[in-house]
Amino acid sequence: MSVKIALAGNPNCGKTTLFNALTGSNQFVGNWPGVTVEKKEGKLKGHKDVIIMDLPGIYSLSPYTLEEVVARNYLIGERPDAILNIVDGTNIERNLYLSTQLMELGIPVIMAVNMMDIVEKSGDKINIQKLSQKLGCEVVEISALKGTGIQKAAEKAVAIANKKSVALPVHKFATEVESVLEQIELKLGSDISEEQKRFFAIKLLEKDDKISAQMKSVPDVTEEIAQIEKEMDDDTESIITNERYVYISSIINECYSKNKKEKLTSSDKIDKIVTNRWLALPIFAAVMFVVYYVSVTTIGSWATDWVNDGVFGDGWSFFGISVPSIPSMLESGLIAVGCADWLQGLILDGIVAGVGAVLGFVPQMLVLFVFLAFLEACGYMARVAFIMDRIFRKFGLSGKSFIPMLIGSGCGVPGIMASRTIENDRDRKMTIMTTTFIPCSAKLPIVALIAGALFNGSWWVAPSAYFVGIAAIICSGIILKKTKMFAGEPAPFVMELPAYHMPTVGNILRSMWERGWSFIKKAGTIILLSTIFVWFTTYFGWVDGQFRMLDDMELNHSILAAIGNTISWLFIPLGWGDWKSAVAAITGLVAKENVVGTFGILFGFAEVEENGAEIWGTLAGSMTAVAAYSFLVFNLLCAPCFAAMGAIKREMNNAKWFWFAIGYQTLLAYVVALCVYQIGTLITTGAFGFGTVVAFGLVALFIYLLARPYKESNTLKINLNRVAGAKNM
Amino acid sequence: MGTVVVGGVVLAIVGLIIRGMIQDKKNGKSIQCGGDCKHCGGHCH
Repeated sequence: MSVKIALAGNPNCGKTTLFNALTGSNQFVGNWPGVTVEKKEGKLKGHKDVIIMDLPGIYSLSPYTLEEVVARNYLIGERPDAILNIVDGTNIERNLYLSTQLMELGIPVIMAVNMMDIVEKSGDKINIQKLSQKLGCEVVEISALKGTGIQKAAEKAVAIANKKSVALPVHKFATEVESVLEQIELKLGSDISEEQKRFFAIKLLEKDDKISAQMKSVPDVTEEIAQIEKEMDDDTESIITNERYVYISSIINECYSKNKKEKLTSSDKIDKIVTNRWLALPIFAAVMFVVYYVSVTTIGSWATDWVNDGVFGDGWSFFGISVPSIPSMLESGLIAVGCADWLQGLILDGIVAGVGAVLGFVPQMLVLFVFLAFLEACGYMARVAFIMDRIFRKFGLSGKSFIPMLIGSGCGVPGIMASRTIENDRDRKMTIMTTTFIPCSAKLPIVALIAGALFNGSWWVAPSAYFVGIAAIICSGIILKKTKMFAGEPAPFVMELPAYHMPTVGNILRSMWERGWSFIKKAGTIILLSTIFVWFTTYFGWVDGQFRMLDDMELNHSILAAIGNTISWLFIPLGWGDWKSAVAAITGLVAKENVVGTFGILFGFAEVEENGAEIWGTLAGSMTAVAAYSFLVFNLLCAPCFAAMGAIKREMNNAKWFWFAIGYQTLLAYVVALCVYQIGTLITTGAFGFGTVVAFGLVALFIYLLARPYKESNTLKINLNRVAGAKNM
Repeated sequence: MGTVVVGGVVLAIVGLIIRGMIQDKKNGKSIQCGGDCKHCGGHCH
């Protein structure tokens, strides 16, 4: 028979780090609160019958947030055999607030005081024995990051879980409160077990509707509530909160001694600079610039050039031994076995060219993932959310919206899903609509391709893609907030800033590998299938009324060219109205990497090998630099891939909102790309035409939408007829 | 003969990919990001 142990604690107290250490799992660990939104299950290493449950970080068992509801429902409904309560030793007073509630559930609790290394370093002292005595549970010192004490904590939790015992809280509130709780406990039915009665009595006293909904019979406690509120001149929720803190203060006074020398911690010193009112934004911009510049233009670029020119190009040298490239090895093999030309074409010009084009960018992505993992794990990204809240708030968005965007820099799907934690419906919808503007990892190959092939690796192209995304979010926030649909104050954003710490190499490499592997896996599945479709539609078509395979000079007669030509006119004002670019943008809807994969097929790897020209040189010759930047902007901002669209549909849960979101993204992308091309062409070549006039008109409209006053949000309009109608129904 | 063998290998690979994608979809995983999206709380990146 297996035993279940739940890991419970405040956000960012180290639960997931401990979970990974105990189970050998690879759950993502981030140094910001709210990394875990749903519970995760794993088996304790060396104990197949011990299940560890990683619950989302919560501050209390009150249903204020989605995470608190998820955690509470599990603890009440599933009733694990023991709770391993992780407490952040550097914030013990606040963490004990949840501990007092966990102890009321009747489930045995083992407390693990985490980050003891930091506590000791700061000179503070926690008397563990006294703490254990006062709380009525066993307490263990641990450092989840360094792995000290975790085995002891796990063993104690397993031992107590195996006993299958019940636990009763030792703490008592004021006499008046205890007397009322006793009265309520007597009113509770037999459906509530003895050990849970105190928890339910407290929740009923706090007027917790969600708990009432879970009970078979809800006793009437209005009299008890009225009695205690009158006696203590406060509402019951505040009375209970106060009682908890009185109890916690008594513990802190006896068990915790703070280092008398009040000095700034290293985190405080760093924060004085990186969250400074004037320096915060320039520092953030500089950090992101360096991240994208190094990833795409320098280190990442060298590695990608080696993959593209060596592994998928002319071959490479391994300690002086010449290794042929994958396409040439495959070609020799296919010729040797007597494979038909059309099948060679499918494999070399289709699969290898398409998938190879995408895989060529893996080194750049891995470098970017290392940087992002470091920034997330060290605690800087939590500061960015704080910095961005100040900016976002001015433009109608909450800082809470930044977390989905941060996650969206990896993949838009979880980014969109992370918007669930935003309680305000308007903010949530706006976040869903704008999250995919941040370039996800799948868009990075497009950025790298345009930067490398058309801008000769210019330093500013890759970082600018990130800032175009941020600008689109901010401008969308301003414009949409001024509409009736989104008018209103953004939700308040409260977030605890975790202490900075040096992330472990393992954590960073794990994060990099998970993201990178997901990308490689995608290249081997959906991208591979897409390349077969693109190759078939590129190399087959009608010539002189006859359907047959085409050679390289006849691609304008292909099925794909026919499809591309029907839509390419739409993109003429954007500067890339040829069918190849049009179909590349369309195939990007299946997966954004397909844009690069499609170009790989259409501009051909095989031909490049023959004439020895730069792989993407032919692409560079097909459009101007301004048109290429317009193409980049369009693909960054337009409707995301089908998977992300599916996530938008699920999260919006409304067909109209879904189409509005997709329509808005595509329209914005079109308008911005048009302005980039038309105005860019005017600046670079001096060409002025009807398109330029339209572009200036759109810029004027855009400025008006940004600058117009918040009329709607200041006016409350009530349709009295509708209200009257509703009342009469 | 070479064409038949290579064609068979390509078809088998495509078949396995499609089968895997259908299975993933049935198990609630996303075809796109390869993550366990049914249980994903938005932390897989």
